[in-house]
Amino acid sequence: MRIKRSLQAAALVAAAVLLGLLTVQGSYALWNATVVATPGTVSSASFDMAMTAVNSGQTTNMTLANGTAATLTLSPAGTLGPGTPVYGGVQVTNNTNAGGQFNTVITAGQPSITNVSGGTLASYISVTAKRATSTTECSNSVGYLAIGAGGLESPTVAKNGSTIFCFQASLSSAAPSSVKGQAVNITLPLTARQCGVSGGC
Amino acid sequence: MKNSTLIKGTAAIAVGAALLLGGGGSLANWNAAASATPGNIVAGDLNVATAAGVWTDRTGATIDIATYRVVPGDMLTYTQALTVTLVGDKMAASVVLANVPANTFTADNLVISPMKLTNTAGDVTANTVLKPVSGSATQTVTASTVFEFKSTTTGRSDVAKNYDLGNVGYTLTQLTQTGLS
Repeated sequence: MRIKRSLQAAALVAAAVLLGLLTVQGSYALWNATVVATPGTVSSASFDMAMTAVNSGQTTNMTLANGTAATLTLSPAGTLGPGTPVYGGVQVTNNTNAGGQFNTVITAGQPSITNVSGGTLASYISVTAKRATSTTECSNSVGYLAIGAGGLESPTVAKNGSTIFCFQASLSSAAPSSVKGQAVNITLPLTARQCGVSGGC
Repeated sequence: MKNSTLIKGTAAIAVGAALLLGGGGSLANWNAAASATPGNIVAGDLNVATAAGVWTDRTGATIDIATYRVVPGDMLTYTQALTVTLVGDKMAASVVLANVPANTFTADNLVISPMKLTNTAGDVTANTVLKPVSGSATQTVTASTVFEFKSTTTGRSDVAKNYDLGNVGYTLTQLTQTGLS
């Protein structure tokens, strides 16, 4: 009885294996061909905006490698006094490696003026700005205007192009002599944005 | 007299033998011969080959994907022609894509149409049965995909990122037809 069952089981296994083999054989019996293509890698561009201080030539990327915003010291030329403004400027260059069009607009925001070491000079300082096509224009007092609420926008800065912002700090004629020797920090935020993707900049 | 009889008997046997020999040709029946040419058995063909893929930008201009860097607002289209060879009276096949890698950009910043296959009749899916076409051993199937970097991308999201489309495989497989086992 046991031998008979063993034989039956063996026959069943053999039949299953045979069926399996026949099935597999059938699925490979037909022709097939495969070809492989390599479409390549889609890479996004960098968003590198270089800033160069007009007076010192110091340069930095607008965004640092760690993703934080950079700070560039403009080092104003001259000594501030009533009727003798000082100026500084920054050249912003669109250094993207974009394959196609990559237009940008740079905006200089409202200045923030703070006293250094508890002085009172800040309330007598005004900052004006203008766009320029040459760094030499910064030392020319013509054309400086207060920065509006929306900031001062550059013209469209295309790939590899640049723009220049000039800033002028003036001391009010009403400034008391007590502010002599005092210092202020002037912070001007610069923002670059891509434009022209759908419509004009 | 005995000799005469012997001679006559011998002669009769000789004549009979001669008659038998002379009628040897008459022993064959009719027969005829002819030659036949069954012909050659010729196998069909099944193959798939690719032409170089082409990337184009939104304006339709061809770009070199190895050096091109996309920015928000870009839309790139990849197309690749497949030359499918199908020969055989009972030949039929399907073609499918394999190994299309997943996107590595931020999903919200992209619109990527899945790579698809089309021919003159429309979309070619795994269920589409391709058959030999009249007058040509080959037919064209086009693979394509669209990569759009959305202009709504904010900040510096996905700057200097890569999406490797790797090795996309196109497999052409013969299908069983009536009359095939």
